Formats: sequence, structure tokens, C-alpha cells
Amino acid sequence: MSLPVVVIGVSHKTAPVDVRERFAAGAEILPELLARLTSRPELDEAMFLSTCNRVEIVVLAKAGKSIEDAKRGASRAVREALREQLGASSIDDLGGWLYEKSGDEAVRHIFRVAASLDSMVLGEPQILGQVKDAYDAAVAAGALRSHLARCVHRAFTVAKRIRSETQLGAGIVSISSVAVDLAKRIFGDLGTSTVLLVGAGEMAEQAAKSLAKSAKSIRVCNRSFDRAATLAATFGGTAAPLDQLEAELVISDVVVASTSSKTFVITRDLVKRVMKQRKGKTLFLIDIAVPRNVEPDVHKLDNVYVYNVDDLEAEVAENMKARHAEVEAAEAIVAAELADWAAWARGLNVNPTVVALRARTRGVLVAELERSLSGRLKHLTEGDRAALAQMVESATNKLLHAPTTRLKQAASTSDADAGDLVHALHHLFDLPAVAEALGEDERDSRMMKSESVVPHSEEEEQSGRLPH
Amino acid sequence: MNESLANVLFVLTSVTYVAASVLFLRFLVRGKGDVGTVGPRLIAFGAVFHAAHICVASLVLKVCPVEGIHFPMSVASMLMCAAYVVARKRLRVEVAGAFIAPLALTSLMASRFVGRAEPGEGVKSFILPFHVTLNLFGVALFGLAFSAAALYLVQERFVKSKRIDGMSRRLPPLDALDRAEHRFLLAGFPLLTVGIITGTVWAQRVEAGATADILRAVFGYVTWLVIAGVLFLRAAAGWRGRRAAYGTIAGFAFAVLVLVVYLTRTATPHTVASPTGTASSPVLTRTAVQP
Repeated sequence: MSLPVVVIGVSHKTAPVDVRERFAAGAEILPELLARLTSRPELDEAMFLSTCNRVEIVVLAKAGKSIEDAKRGASRAVREALREQLGASSIDDLGGWLYEKSGDEAVRHIFRVAASLDSMVLGEPQILGQVKDAYDAAVAAGALRSHLARCVHRAFTVAKRIRSETQLGAGIVSISSVAVDLAKRIFGDLGTSTVLLVGAGEMAEQAAKSLAKSAKSIRVCNRSFDRAATLAATFGGTAAPLDQLEAELVISDVVVASTSSKTFVITRDLVKRVMKQRKGKTLFLIDIAVPRNVEPDVHKLDNVYVYNVDDLEAEVAENMKARHAEVEAAEAIVAAELADWAAWARGLNVNPTVVALRARTRGVLVAELERSLSGRLKHLTEGDRAALAQMVESATNKLLHAPTTRLKQAASTSDADAGDLVHALHHLFDLPAVAEALGEDERDSRMMKSESVVPHSEEEEQSGRLPH
Repeated sequence: MNESLANVLFVLTSVTYVAASVLFLRFLVRGKGDVGTVGPRLIAFGAVFHAAHICVASLVLKVCPVEGIHFPMSVASMLMCAAYVVARKRLRVEVAGAFIAPLALTSLMASRFVGRAEPGEGVKSFILPFHVTLNLFGVALFGLAFSAAALYLVQERFVKSKRIDGMSRRLPPLDALDRAEHRFLLAGFPLLTVGIITGTVWAQRVEAGATADILRAVFGYVTWLVIAGVLFLRAAAGWRGRRAAYGTIAGFAFAVLVLVVYLTRTATPHTVASPTGTASSPVLTRTAVQP
């Protein structure tokens, strides 16, 4: 049986940007949402990922709870959050855009997202950083502790493998570069074009990197002038405060908007005024922000073209065709890593039986030893007693080594075989039921001891192999 | 020089233009072929054959190439092709060959097969060759402006509707098309203006009053007004892009109407006759070239 991991979300593949931007507004309530998720009785761990192309919640069900329980819990938490944020009337509309993945399919999805195989621009490097940010935020909020944390960490390893073992990340791989390609479709050589960045965040920086090489000049307009000045200085551009946006639009040809504003920064009325001052000169606006910064109606004006993140898909489709072989190689890596992960995860299912068997064996031996130590062997010194206790521990380990190994092997290859063996062990050794064998607290502490949240060593991190 | 050579050159010109048209259309529609080098070269070869054909045919007929309408029309399309070959790289309008080649072919065919001026009593005037030559260059440049405008509208439609793969990739950038269209109009407009003035003077001299003459004059003035309007509104009110493209196409359509009226008119006393007194048409049909 696979780990009860569930992913619920919307992405560029399932919902247009005008839907996604309504979900994305929830990113601000991240700590509260994570706390809400992990406080649910069905859920153990949670992570919230919000990018311009996707908004996803990843959860892990508590021990003893099924995937269905996890789905219900996550779904309820998401809907409650949406109800508070958007109002009850919006939920039914938005609910239709949500997708759910569970079990191995959910893990595969997490691997593919981190490796940029599910991105709008295949192989783009930003998504890995965004997943890492989401991971850090969830760890900081105490929402990622054990198996889900390990799963996300494994996704980082998958992404690194794909980047180093395939050419998926080579060539054009960012939304910014696709946007530059589009701008060239309108203006040809950008050597005579002025580029205006509205917003000075990471996306603006990426765009500036792509555009600085070919544009005549770069201007940065941002609410925080200091930030604009810093970014402009990096690329030899000019900075301006946001209240000078209209004047900046008049002298610019290509505009890349990427602010985090929840309302439209560039409206139809503003652009109408600007176009009069520009005497109809072509204006190309690339809106890579979610929620969008440019009012959609601006595109209807003469000689004005607005492209948002969804509109870049056609370009990306061309990109994908050329990368078909690389995609296949990357998918093969994902499949291999998933199989490895699934084997490890199935091994987790027999852990309670192994622990119970060990407890039973050790319990019997320790009880017998204590009986002897209080009887015929009561003359033994403390040193002798310690040696005998050590001997019992070693005997337990040696005795149980082979059955434990075989049980885990069976679990990694076949759920059915492992189930039979577990059943036989419980029957033969009269082991208690799992729930009885392990209290919740004991289970958690055991997991933390036996499988740390993150790989212990650099080698483990690089190899992505988990300590079995 | 004989009629056979003229006919061979005519066929060679036609075949080259057809080949260029097919190549460009195939490239635009299916994305196949190399129009970066082969297409413009075919048009260049076509223009050379065309020029040779005009020379030979005018010698055979003993007609100055700027007399009448059939020869000048053929000359205009040849000039259009030549101007395209010269300006295509600088203005990044290689794909405009998709319009230039069929236009040149149509013009060549029309100049040979559409209408035929009957022999008439010619009216000699030194203004007339001047008027015709200016208009020839003007029409050639407007033909190029029309091609750029038509391509602009196609590309603009793709970009506006956000269908930016496929054919859109093979078309020149929007701004390059808009700029090319404007420059061709700017270059052609002074020629048209002087052509209109000289035409008016000549029409007054010969006291033209037939319906065809009036229609021709009206269409000529409308052409001038439309092109002037496009240029003025662009400078004064920022009418660029789609509006300018529609205006350019309308202007060229009126210019074509002038030619159509010329081609299809019946002979009038002031129809320009060739120096030999035979038909002014450069048509190398057997009847026309018979002494």
C-alpha cells in the first residue's frame, strides 16, 4: 500500500489564469492554512505551493487513516479557506477547476512538478526554487515533519537528476525568454525598443536578464523606488516610482508586468491615454503576474497587444515538440525514482510488525533474564549484568535480522506477499494489532528516530537514496 | 530581334513568377521551402526576364515602353519586383514576395491578354511619357506597400487572436511590416502627386471627356486623396497599424481601378498610338505585331 499522500490544486493545465488568480490570492494566508490543515484529525503533514502557474495543497494522512480520509480532510480545509476568502457563492464555481491526485500518482505529480515536467515552460529552473520555498515555509510552520517532508526532499533529488542527466534544462526555458521571443515577433529586432519592467521582483529580474541583451534600454517602475533602482542599476537601466507609470508607458515599447498587486495596475483607460500620447505606436504588454496586472480589455485597443502567462502556451507547445526526447528521458527518471520511492514506502507498512516482533522477542528474553538475575544469578556484579543485557540485545538483533530483511524485501516487491508474511508473523508470534502495538506518540518518535526528516549526509542527499 | 524571342522571354518570365508564387505560398501555408534566398532570387530572375521581354517586345513593335497602357503596366510590375529585390532585406519583408510574385504575374498576363487598344490617331505630348513614367514608379511602390499592408493584416490577426504558432512564425514582425508599408507609401506619394498633376494638364490639352476618361481621372484623384489621408492621419493622429493598412489597400485598389479602366477602355481619338501607327498595346499577339 502506498503512502496516503494527496495533492489538491489548480494549474495552468486545468484552469485559465482568471481562475488561478483567485486561488493564488490565498497564498497570504499560508501559515493559517497550514495550521488549519494539520489540525484536522485526518491529516498529519501539509505543504502549500503557490506559483503563477499553479496553486496546490499537498497533505499526508495520519497513520491509520486512509487516502480517502486524507482527501476528505484536505478538501474540507481547502473549501473552508476558500469560503472565508472568496465567499460561499464562489466555491461551487471554483471547485470545478480543482484536481485531486493521491497515493503514488500524487508522489509522481510532486516529482514532476519539482522537475519542471509539469511546467508551462518545460525545464524552467524557477519552479524548483518555488517548491523549495514552499517546503521551507511548511517546515517553519511545523507542518512538514516526516514522510511528506522526505517525499518533497526526494522530489528535489529527482529534479537535480533530471537537470544533470538530460538536456531538458538546456536552451530556452523561462517564461521571460518566451516573452522575449514573442516581443521579437512584433518588433523584430529589439535593438530599437525600450523595455519597461513594472514590478521589481524575481520574475522582473528574470525578464530583465533575457531582455537586457537585446533591448535598447531597460526601465524599471516599482512601488518601492529603492528596489526599482537596485534592479535598474544591475542592468544599466533607469528606475522610476510607480506614480510615473503613465509617463513610462508613453516612452516604452515592451512592458513586462509582474507586480504582486491584487488589482489591475495597467487599466484600459490608462493605456487609452498613453496610446494618444504615443500617436498609435505599437505597445506590447506581457503580463506574467498572477493575479494579473493588466486589464484584459487593454488587448482590444488598436496597436496594443496583451499576453498573459496562459497565452505563452502556444510558444511552449513548440518548445515541447523539440524536447520530446528529453521529456521521455526525464519521465523515465521520474518513473524509476517513483518505483524506488514506492518500494521504500511499502516497506514502511511492515514497520509496525517488525517493531512488534522485536518488542515481543526482546520482551521475552529480557523477562527471562530478569527472572534469572533475581534468582540464581543474583550474585552477578553490575558489570556482568550489563554484559548479559548487551548479549540479549545482540541476540535479538541477530535472531530478527533475517526475518526483518525478508519481510522488507517482500514489502518492496509485492504488497500481497508482505501481507501474507505479516499475517503469519502476527499469528505465529501472537503479536498485538498494530494500533495496540504502537501508541501514536511512540510511533511518531520512532519514525523520527529511524527515518530522519532530511537525509543525514551529503552523500544521501546527492544520491537521493534513503536509509533503509 | 523577332517575335519568337519576345514570346520565349514572356514565357520564361511567367514561369519564373509562377514558380516564385508557388514557393512563397507553399512556405506560408505549409512552412516548407527556403524563401530567404530562393524566393527572392526567383523574383529577381523574373524581373530580369521581364525587363528583357519589355525591351525585345518594344523593339519588335517599335513602341516606347511608356506609351499606351499595356506596356507601362508590364513595366510597373517589373519595377515592383526590382524594388522588392532591392528593399526586401533592409525592410525585412522577404515574405512579401508571396504577394509581389502573383501581382507581377497578374499584371504581366493582363498587359498581354486583357483589352486591346485599337489603332487610333495619336496625340503627341512630351508630358505624357513623363506622366506615365512617374505613375509607373508610383504604382510599383504602392504595389509593395499593398503587399506589406496585406501581410500586416494577416500577422496582426494572428497576434491579436493569440494564434502565434504556425504561419505567424513565418511572417515578418508587425512593426517591420508597418514600417515598410509607410516607407513605400512615402516614396510613392510624391511620384503619384506629380503624376496626377501632369495627368490633369494632359487631359485638359486633349480635352478628354469620355466616360472612361472621367472615371479614370476620378479614380486617380481618389487614389491620391486616400494615400494622402493615410499619410496625414498617421503623422497627425497616430493612425498606424491596421487602420493604415486598410487605407493603403484601399488606395492601391483605386490605383488598380485606374489601370483596369485604361485596359478595358475602347479606343478614343487621343489614345496614344505607337510611332508606327499600329496599336499601342505591347501585346505580342499575332494581330498586334503584324506590320
